Amino acid sequence: MIEAGWLIAAVVSTMLSMGWFALCYQSHWKQVFPGHAGGPNTFLLKLLGRGFLLLSAVCCLAADHPSMAALVWIMLLAVAAMTVAMLLSRRPQWLRLICPSFFADKG
Amino acid sequence: MISQTALHITNRIIAAFLGGYAFTWGLSALAITTMVTLGIDFHEAETGMTLVAFLVFLALFLWTFAAASMLRVWLVLAGGAAVMMLIATMLQNSLVS
Amino acid sequence: MFNSFRMSMGWVHTWLGLVLGFVLMICFFFGALSVFDREIDRWAIPDTRFEPQPMPSFDEVLKPVFDELKPHPTDMAATQQRVIGDLPDPDTMPLKSLYAYTTHRDPVLRIGGEFGIPNEPKDPADDHLHVHGWATVNPTTGETLSDSALKIGSDWFYPMHFNLHLRWNMLGYWIVGVAALVLLAALVTGVIIHRKLFREFFTFRPWKHVLRSSLDLHNVTGVVALPFHFFFAFTALVIFATNIYLPLSHTTLKPLHEQHEKLEAERTGLPHEESGEAAPLASVDAMVAEAKRRWAERDMPGEVGYLFMDHIGDENSYVSIYRAGSDRVALVGEGIHFKASTGEVIREEPPRSVVASIDEFLTGLHLQHFEHWMLRWLYVFGGLLGAICIATGFILFVEKRKARHAKAGSQGSRIVDAMAVTTVTGMVIAAVSMLVANRILPADLAGKGQWEQTVFWWAWGLAFLHAAWRSSPVAKARVNPAWREQSWVLAALSLLAVVMNWVTTGDHLIKTLFTDTYWAVAGVDLSLIATALIAMLVARKLGAKATETVKPKRGKSAQHNKQVNAYD
Repeated sequence: MIEAGWLIAAVVSTMLSMGWFALCYQSHWKQVFPGHAGGPNTFLLKLLGRGFLLLSAVCCLAADHPSMAALVWIMLLAVAAMTVAMLLSRRPQWLRLICPSFFADKG
Repeated sequence: MISQTALHITNRIIAAFLGGYAFTWGLSALAITTMVTLGIDFHEAETGMTLVAFLVFLALFLWTFAAASMLRVWLVLAGGAAVMMLIATMLQNSLVS
Repeated sequence: MFNSFRMSMGWVHTWLGLVLGFVLMICFFFGALSVFDREIDRWAIPDTRFEPQPMPSFDEVLKPVFDELKPHPTDMAATQQRVIGDLPDPDTMPLKSLYAYTTHRDPVLRIGGEFGIPNEPKDPADDHLHVHGWATVNPTTGETLSDSALKIGSDWFYPMHFNLHLRWNMLGYWIVGVAALVLLAALVTGVIIHRKLFREFFTFRPWKHVLRSSLDLHNVTGVVALPFHFFFAFTALVIFATNIYLPLSHTTLKPLHEQHEKLEAERTGLPHEESGEAAPLASVDAMVAEAKRRWAERDMPGEVGYLFMDHIGDENSYVSIYRAGSDRVALVGEGIHFKASTGEVIREEPPRSVVASIDEFLTGLHLQHFEHWMLRWLYVFGGLLGAICIATGFILFVEKRKARHAKAGSQGSRIVDAMAVTTVTGMVIAAVSMLVANRILPADLAGKGQWEQTVFWWAWGLAFLHAAWRSSPVAKARVNPAWREQSWVLAALSLLAVVMNWVTTGDHLIKTLFTDTYWAVAGVDLSLIATALIAMLVARKLGAKATETVKPKRGKSAQHNKQVNAYD
């Protein structure tokens, strides 16, 4: 059962990571915050994105044998990237949930 | 009448698939016999070569379409295949006898 | 068209991708189904809907089954073609080797063996000729299951994805092999011609023109699952390399290989030939117990996945016992070999070399014998992304050209569109029709499996005819109504399959999910319902689009065309 917990954590952190990476792009930032004047704080978003990417890898390794964990991680990245792409195209406002206002670049 | 372009494309496709395959075959034969000569286990050499062979094939395949001169492509692929097969056969004969 | 590097790479991507794309659709879709082949088998053969079983006792359960095993009539006929003179009576042929194979997902056990024949082969190179026999056994009782029940998952959908059921001269394997190479080439060329790989990593704009939105989807599905696509195509080639695609050790390097085999037999102590002296068989159960003890000692405790015995009844006979794959990716059998007459260990396979470990990891990655349900679903997801990537590639091809073709009076995009319908909705219709036929045809119908295959091919053929018949609007730069119509058919068939499963077996979803949980059947039913929902959604969307009178915005779409047309 503990493996399932690690895997769920891995899913969540890949999703967060990909969401933050996507928000680094001006075009996607505009989709999520259409009326917002400033841009994304890319330094912070990239830092978080990379951090959670690493965290998800650790969660995968905690759940399975390293060879299996590598496959799970790579496949999760694909799922997360696809999910974020779909969210951006259908429900971009949902991504505001992972992006409090101080993530914006005050400029 | 078959157009010049159609002939050219057919030539590229044949070179990419058959020429590339022949070269990969020759290279694999040569590499395996060489490795066995050097004292590496046959299956070990064979397995190692299968891991490399298709990447070589892929590179040759793309090169065939990108190359400027088809003459050079055929020289490398067919010529290379023939030379490597020849050496591989000689090496094998010396190993088996 | 081969004037610049990007142009030539674009040509390879477009044209080879198109032609082999139809094959790749089959590989990706049926490959995705193969992830759950055993579960589809359970759905299709209700008699086997019970829990997976470990390898049963050889001495008590399997030995009597092997005593009853006979050469299979199919292989009798095939072998007769290859030998001089008539084959002897199958009942008199001695069993020379045997195997039993199971996985952690199998309630039933596959067994088989080779029967010795005295005939000389027609082709002298055709050495080690045997007649094969095989059967499926219920491991709890030792009963042999009827051969006429086709394992739709593991004997139809699964082989479909690597040989297309074109057995003649291994043609199917070669077509799939070429397709795998072209997929690798298409991935590399795709990355080369994609101008904004990272900038459009998360980009999908369904509200834009169909050309733009399908290019978005083509790029996103191709890029995010790039490692999956690459490694599955690559490992597909590696798996069949030594036997089919690069069979050097059976051809060019045969002398060297044979010399190695003899040396290997001396080194490992596993006899290559019979001695000619008869010997009895010691307890195989004791050998299994010993193998399990040694695995546990190596900190890899596990069940037996594969049991093999060669030179049966001879002094040189040996038993090989391999561990079932479950806890890691690599197919590590940790084989232990015993002398059959005494039960003593002849050989324990040594730790693998680096090359062998890489090879086993790559093979295991594709064949997925492991026990990891999440990773299995992730693989299905990857396979479906591949299918979407190729299907959107077809749409791109057609959308880019159909206006031009309509003006020129060409039928090119019409043909491609009809083929695209056939390999997208038509293929799924064929698969689901087979499942419906499986539930409607009576279980005791003679040759039921044959009928199911007939339904499969006919359904697919009809889907093609329908797509071709309805495709004339494409030649006038409009949408083929077959997309929408076949989506409705698919939705109806999928729901019918679920209902028929309930009617004929009583296993409805409330039962398989809650009261008497059986995930194999519930999973197939739920997937069918999901298919039906998606098909209905698509059909309604396409219907809405068809009633709209679309006026393409001239300036904008011309610009799109310029951008994406650069490579043909």
